Amino acid sequence: MKRRTFLAGMVAVPVAGCGLSGTSNSGSSAGGQVTGEITFQTWSLKPKYTDYVNGVIDAFQQQHQGTTVKWVDQPADGYLAKVMADASAGTLPDVINVPPDLSFPLAKAGQLVDLDEVARDAKPEYLENAWQAFEIPGQGGCYGFPWYLNTGPLFYNKALFRQAGLDPDKPPANFDELEQYALKLAEKNIAILGQTPSIADFGLYGVKLFENGEFTFNEPKGVELVESYKRMYDAGALIPEALTQNYTGAGTKFMAQQTAMNPGSAYDLGKFKTDAPSLYANIGITTPITNTGSANMFLHGVSVPKSSKNQATALAFGRFVTNAANQVAFAKLASIFPSTTKGGDDPYFTTEDGSDEARVRVAAAKQLKTAVNYTPVQFSDQMREALLQQLADAMLGKKSPKEALDAAVEECNRLLK
Amino acid sequence: MTHRPYTPWLFLLPGLVICLAFTIFPFLNMIVLAFTDASALGGGQFTGVDNFVRMAQDPKFWVAARNSLLYMVCVVPPLVLLPLLIAMLAQKAVPGIGIFRTAFFTPVIASAVVVGLIWTWLLDSRGLVNNVVEALGGTRIGFLTDSTLLLVSSMVVTVWRGLGYYMVIYLAALANVPKDLHEAAMVDGAGPVRRFWSVTVPALRPTMVLIAALSAVNGFRVFSEIYLLSGGTGGPGGASTTMVLLIQSVGRGLTGEVGYASALSLVLFVVLLGLLLVTLKLNRREDQL
Repeated sequence: MKRRTFLAGMVAVPVAGCGLSGTSNSGSSAGGQVTGEITFQTWSLKPKYTDYVNGVIDAFQQQHQGTTVKWVDQPADGYLAKVMADASAGTLPDVINVPPDLSFPLAKAGQLVDLDEVARDAKPEYLENAWQAFEIPGQGGCYGFPWYLNTGPLFYNKALFRQAGLDPDKPPANFDELEQYALKLAEKNIAILGQTPSIADFGLYGVKLFENGEFTFNEPKGVELVESYKRMYDAGALIPEALTQNYTGAGTKFMAQQTAMNPGSAYDLGKFKTDAPSLYANIGITTPITNTGSANMFLHGVSVPKSSKNQATALAFGRFVTNAANQVAFAKLASIFPSTTKGGDDPYFTTEDGSDEARVRVAAAKQLKTAVNYTPVQFSDQMREALLQQLADAMLGKKSPKEALDAAVEECNRLLK
Repeated sequence: MTHRPYTPWLFLLPGLVICLAFTIFPFLNMIVLAFTDASALGGGQFTGVDNFVRMAQDPKFWVAARNSLLYMVCVVPPLVLLPLLIAMLAQKAVPGIGIFRTAFFTPVIASAVVVGLIWTWLLDSRGLVNNVVEALGGTRIGFLTDSTLLLVSSMVVTVWRGLGYYMVIYLAALANVPKDLHEAAMVDGAGPVRRFWSVTVPALRPTMVLIAALSAVNGFRVFSEIYLLSGGTGGPGGASTTMVLLIQSVGRGLTGEVGYASALSLVLFVVLLGLLLVTLKLNRREDQL
């Protein structure tokens, strides 16, 4: 990213060399025989899941003689840059692992195969909410086979709750209680959260995020949520870094026991156990705070670019990787959940064995049945930044919550066009 | 001995091809893109000067331009003077001076990310520096959470990182200062301070101008320090954003506005080119005096 030379190097290299050379693809060739070679690109699965992925590839190749799947794994750092460079050059791999927010710009640019057109019969195999996450409101179509899902409990630090005189077995259950608890903790100089609300938090609060092709989270409910956070911030219930913090940063602060609550996943529980044993000894696990009754959901999928020269094989492989049996096997290795209608009833996701991990897993699996991917697919990185910056201004009192949200919505809608 | 006229070009060819492919072409492409509404996924219609009109009305651009200018103004004086003083100390042939020189040069070779992380841990609201401040009875300081202090903290890191690099340049220049000038000044009764101002500084003036120009350019296009200390956000409300950070933020990702980011890059290029030309002209004028 930072390759620069004198003078000419003063320009921003990241933006140069792309743009006018973009490609657009039209038409698709999804029909045809499942044969030949395809490339499958995953997001940071090597080396931990090498055996699993190779096993899936071998099984597919056995089932479809004459096919060869070349697996390419990209590290998480730079994944976006790689996809961008490939998309720009029209050389995306045949099957590509993308979350919905990455599939959206690709689909909008006409680069992905519409599964509603070529694999509509696959739809009933997946959870409805997972399939919907890859649909584009307003444009129609579905642009990715849902792959693995995650949702998580809300973790809290029982020791910090005790210090503030709160009952460690009664964590807050809704946003009103969250503020009450936050103010109580702040009296003892304990911060409850390490982040200002994300777009998903607005969704969990019950705010209408997107309607009629526009962002609408500046509606009165949205303002109400920001006002609540402002009161918490003023009381010292949010750490100062909350104004610039992302999800990972907030997680680190929770691990360091500088905040009392943080949303997480089953994966985090293992991390607490090994990296923060003193936190693990006091960890409280509860359901996520939501006013809608539905938890938030994160998911990944696999998409097939229109530029693929072997779409029939690519589609067959995408469907194979994400079928119930393969997803359940994968979920048992990683702390994730299948997005298929059949995978979720496996005893692994429904039976507790007394351990914290199993408790979190079973609760999360139950939660996923009604969970929603609150983050609109249109919500880009630039929009995330705009919201964060406006919320910081609101917390610092530079703008009223209404003004800040109006500005954030205006910027998001401008970026949408 | 005669040679074919194109022989030198053959030797130059590999370098020229690399330069054309990775510097000249992207640079020219950036100029073209600056006048379009191109996105990261291609396309882009010619939009004339729309990007520049938008820039003039974009408060983020003015915040970034102001911060970059402020950054440049604040880091240049310490980066011109402090390495000189350190170089004069490091020049002495005393036992263990190698350790001293290495210590000052280490930040130069350290990865920007590692440096950023170390300073983030030091300056965090619960970091080492704030723990010391609190232990001494003070209140915690928002080095990374106050937009002004974040800029100042970033400037400190830039100066800290630059000391060793510019020290080496000064060491080379100091070795070229004629010893007899110092001896003559001593014979005339000049003390160390007088010799510094009357002998060392005039002899090093071209080097100082070079370092001022280099540190000004680097200061204006600062990125890694502010990016790492602010977690990539440009500080609370984006109030500590600098020009390159803004370009990165606008142009990154699949949804990046490449046309606008290119226009910002072009403006940055023109400003820095102007700055360098002014410095060169000033240097030449002083040489002629």
